[in-house]
Amino acid sequence: MSARPATPASPKNFKVKAPQPGQPLYGCEHLQRLFNQDQATTNTSIQHYKAALRIILDTTPLIPQTAKSIEGAISTSLTPTYLCLQCPWTLTEDDRAKHGNKKSHRFYVESRSGALYCQMCDDIVWDPTFEDLRLRKIGTGTFSTSGFPQAYHSNTAKFDRKRKHDELFAQDPAKDSPQFISTNTTVASCKANGLRGIYNAGATCYQNVVLQSFLHNPVLRNFYLSDGHQSNTCEMQHCLSCAMDDMFQDFYALENTNGYTAANILSGFWISDKKAFENLVTTKEQDAHEFFQFLAEELHERNGDGKKPESGSEHSCNCIIHQTFYGKLQSTTTCQSCGGVTNQVQSFLDLSLPLENLTQKKGKKHGGKIPAMTLQECLDEEYIKSDKCEYRCNACNTMQQARRQTSIKCLPNVLSIQLKRFEFKQGRNERAAKIDTPVHFPLQLNMLPYTNRAQVKDNSELARSATYDLLSVVVHVGEIDTGHYVSYCRVGDQWFAFNDHKVELAQKSEVLGARAYLLFYIVRSLA
Amino acid sequence: MSSERSETGKAGVIVAPEDASAMDTLAHSVLDDLLYNIVHDLLIKVHRDEKMARAATAAIKVEKLANEASDLSTPDAKPDVRMETDAAIYEDGKVLLKGNPLKLTKEILCPRCRLPRLLYPTDGKGARKPDPGIAYCKKHPYIEKPGYDIYGQTWVAPGPGRGKKKKDVANDSNSLATGVEGGAKDRPPNVLSFPSATCSKCKRCILVTRLNNHMGSCIGNSGRNASRAAAQKICNGGSNGGSQNNDNTPPGSQKGTPLPGSRAASPRKRDMDEFDEDAEESDPTNPKKKKVKPNALPRKVILKTKPPVKKEKVKGNSMLNVEQKVDDEDGNNNGGKNSTVQVAPKKSTPAKGPSPTKKVKLGQNKLPPPSSTKKGAKRDRDMESESSGTLSSPPQ
Repeated sequence: MSARPATPASPKNFKVKAPQPGQPLYGCEHLQRLFNQDQATTNTSIQHYKAALRIILDTTPLIPQTAKSIEGAISTSLTPTYLCLQCPWTLTEDDRAKHGNKKSHRFYVESRSGALYCQMCDDIVWDPTFEDLRLRKIGTGTFSTSGFPQAYHSNTAKFDRKRKHDELFAQDPAKDSPQFISTNTTVASCKANGLRGIYNAGATCYQNVVLQSFLHNPVLRNFYLSDGHQSNTCEMQHCLSCAMDDMFQDFYALENTNGYTAANILSGFWISDKKAFENLVTTKEQDAHEFFQFLAEELHERNGDGKKPESGSEHSCNCIIHQTFYGKLQSTTTCQSCGGVTNQVQSFLDLSLPLENLTQKKGKKHGGKIPAMTLQECLDEEYIKSDKCEYRCNACNTMQQARRQTSIKCLPNVLSIQLKRFEFKQGRNERAAKIDTPVHFPLQLNMLPYTNRAQVKDNSELARSATYDLLSVVVHVGEIDTGHYVSYCRVGDQWFAFNDHKVELAQKSEVLGARAYLLFYIVRSLA
Repeated sequence: MSSERSETGKAGVIVAPEDASAMDTLAHSVLDDLLYNIVHDLLIKVHRDEKMARAATAAIKVEKLANEASDLSTPDAKPDVRMETDAAIYEDGKVLLKGNPLKLTKEILCPRCRLPRLLYPTDGKGARKPDPGIAYCKKHPYIEKPGYDIYGQTWVAPGPGRGKKKKDVANDSNSLATGVEGGAKDRPPNVLSFPSATCSKCKRCILVTRLNNHMGSCIGNSGRNASRAAAQKICNGGSNGGSQNNDNTPPGSQKGTPLPGSRAASPRKRDMDEFDEDAEESDPTNPKKKKVKPNALPRKVILKTKPPVKKEKVKGNSMLNVEQKVDDEDGNNNGGKNSTVQVAPKKSTPAKGPSPTKKVKLGQNKLPPPSSTKKGAKRDRDMESESSGTLSSPPQ
C-alpha cells in the first residue's frame, strides 16, 4: 500500500453537513463522537476520506486492492479491502479488527464502493456528510460544488460533464433552500411515480414506445416537471410540447394507475404540418424510429431557436432536445494521393448502425449460420474502421481515392442508437426485409473508443464522461409489414416492460435478451 | 489469496477439485472471488437503501414527537425540546442516532408523507396481507403476477365483439374475482376497460382504440388523406376493416361540399356504424341494463380501487388542471366528459338533448381523468356505447 499522499493541513475548516429534517445528523454514534472531538479531527477525517475516495475511484484498482497485514506482508486481492480512515494503511477484512485493536482506529473505507465501515457498529454506516462527498465524487469526479479549473474547461469542454451537469442543474443558492423549494413546488402523491401504460389508439404502439422512453428519460422529465415548457402560457395551438407537458404532469402528478390516452399527442401529430411520414395512412403501422425523429424535431422547434435542425451541418442549439440527444460526429477524409485531410463536423440526433453488411460478413465466416453480434462490433464497424471513397480533393483538384473515417466528436447526454433492422433490398421489387440477428448490448457502454479522443490513455475523467448506462430499449416483434412494438425502461435500478397500456416488472435478463431496435443510453455522470 | 494457495476464493462456493492443476485452482478461486464481489456489491446497495430508510424513519419519529411536545403551529420551526426514542435523540433541532437503525427501527416511514410503507406486495409473488388498521403510504411494492400489471390491474379484451368477450373474460377470471356472473356490471374493480377520448377537432367522444383511425380521417388534411386512404384501401383489398368502407364515400363528396358539413359527415357516419355495433352487442344482455351500467360501473371502479380520501385529492388535482388550461384549450377540455361544462363552450352542441343529464351523473361518479384534455378518457366503454346512442342523432 503506502501510496496514500499525506495531505497537508489545509487552512480550510470542514463542516459537517447541516441538519436536514427527517435525517439524522451523523451516520452513527461513533461518528458523532469523531466529529465532535475538535475541528482538527473533523478536518483530517474528511481529508482522509477524500483521499481514500480518490485512490479508489481515480487510480488503478491495484492500489486500493493491495493490502498490508499487521506483520507487513503485502497481498493483492480481488475481493474488497479496507482503507483505514485514520492512517494510510490498507487492510484485508480479516486484519481489520487486529489493526483496529492495536491502533484504536475504528473507521475504514471499503475499497469497491467507498462506503464507510464502523468497527464499533460492526456495520457499514451511511453518514450524510461522507455520503455527500462519495456521491459527488462518483457523479462528477470532483468534490467541489462549483466548477472546474478554468484550463480544464477550455480544452476538454465537450467532454466536460461537470459543465453539462451545471448547465442542467444550474442552481441559484437561494433557490436551493428548503424554504424556497417547499413554497414553489407542488408535492405529488407518493403514488404518482410515472409508471403508466399508454393505450393503443389503433396501430399506435410505435408512438407509445417512443413516448415511454421520453417519459422515463430523467433529463426530459426534469425539464417538463420544472415547468420547462408551460402549457398554460403557450400560445401555440395544438402544440406538441404542451401535449408532452400535460402528459408528464399526468404521469408524475396524478395517482391514476390505468393507461393514459395520448389524445393530444395524437392530434398534435395529425395536425402537425410537418408530416412525419410520407404516405401517412391511418391504419398502417409506422416506424418507431421515424416517430422518434419527428417528435424530437417537433419538440426542438417548439422549445429551441426555431431553426430547422441539422440537415448535415453543425447545428448548435440550447433547447432541451439538443441538450438531451444531440451530439456531433466528425468525419475525416484523407486524400490517398496528396495526403490532404478534410474534416467535417455534423450534428446527430442518433447513431444508426447498419446490421446487414456485418451480418453477411459474419454469416460467410460461419458458413451461412449467422451468429449473434454485439453492439460494440457494430460501433467498431462505423466509428473505428475507415472506408474508401471517391472524393474531390481541393489540393489535387481532381477526383481522388480517399479514406474516410468517422468518429464522435461530442457525446450527447442521452445517446440513442438505432439498429437498422429494416433494410430495403435492391432488386427484389424493392421489398424491405427485417434483419432478425440478435445483437447483444451491454447495460453499461463505454463510448470512449468511438470518439476522436480514443487515443488519450489513462484519463479517468474522459473515461467517466464516456460511460453510459442503458436507459430504455424499444423492441419490434413480428414481421416487417406487421408487428408490434414493446419497450423496456429503467427507473432507478428496476426495469419495467411496457406493452401499450400494460406495465409489468421486467428482469434484466429479459431486457438484455430482447432483439432491440432502438437503444437509449444515459451518460453515467448525470445519473 | 495470492500468498497462500487455496482451492477456492472468498465466497467458498466454487471449489476446485483436489487433483486440479495450479492454474485450475487459480481459475476457480478467481471465479469464486468475482462471485463474492457481485454479491458484495449487491448487498452494499441494498444495505444502503435499507439502512438509510430506517435511519430516516428513526429521525422522522423523534421529530414528530418533538413537534407534538412543543406544539408549534409552524412546521419549519425547530422546537426547543429534547426528545428521545429507542432509536434516536432529538436535541437543538438535530437528530442523533442511538445504535444501529437496522436493529432498532423495524418499519419504514415514507420521508414524504410520513406514513408507514407497505413492505410486501398485496398480490402475486411474495404477497402478504396488509394490516387493514394501518394507513400506509400510497407507494406500494409492485405486483408481479402473470396477466396483471404492476398495480394488479387487468383489462377487458378489446376489439370487435367486445360485448361477448367481456363476459368471457369475466368468467375466465372467476378464480380471482368474486361474483363475476352477469358480465361487465359485476366486473371486479381491478379489471379495467378501455376509455374513450375526445377528438380535438370534432369534439366527438371516440373509443381510444379507434382514436388514431378517427383522427386520421377527421384531422388528416380533410379530404386529401381520406382519398389517399381510399386508394390504399383499393390496393389492399379488405385489409383495412369495415369502418373504412364507410369513410370511403364521404371523401369524394368532401371536396365539393363546404367544410363544416363534410367534416361532420364522415365521422358521424362512421360513428353511427360503431354505435350500431355496440348496440347490437349489448342488446342481447338486457336493454334495460344498458341504462344502469354506465353509472354503476365507474362508481364501482372508484370505490373499490381507491379509498375515498384519494378520490377527493385526485379530483382536486384535476380541477386545478382545468383551471390552468382554460386559456388555451378549453374547447378540448369540455368537449368530452363533462356535459355539465359542456353546455358552456364555444361550439354549441344543443342537440345533445338527453345525454347531458346522464352525463352529469357520469361526471360526478367518475374518477376525474388525468388531464383536462382527456375528459373523456375515463369514460367506460359501455358508457360510450350508451352516450353514442344519443350522439348519433345529429349533434349540430
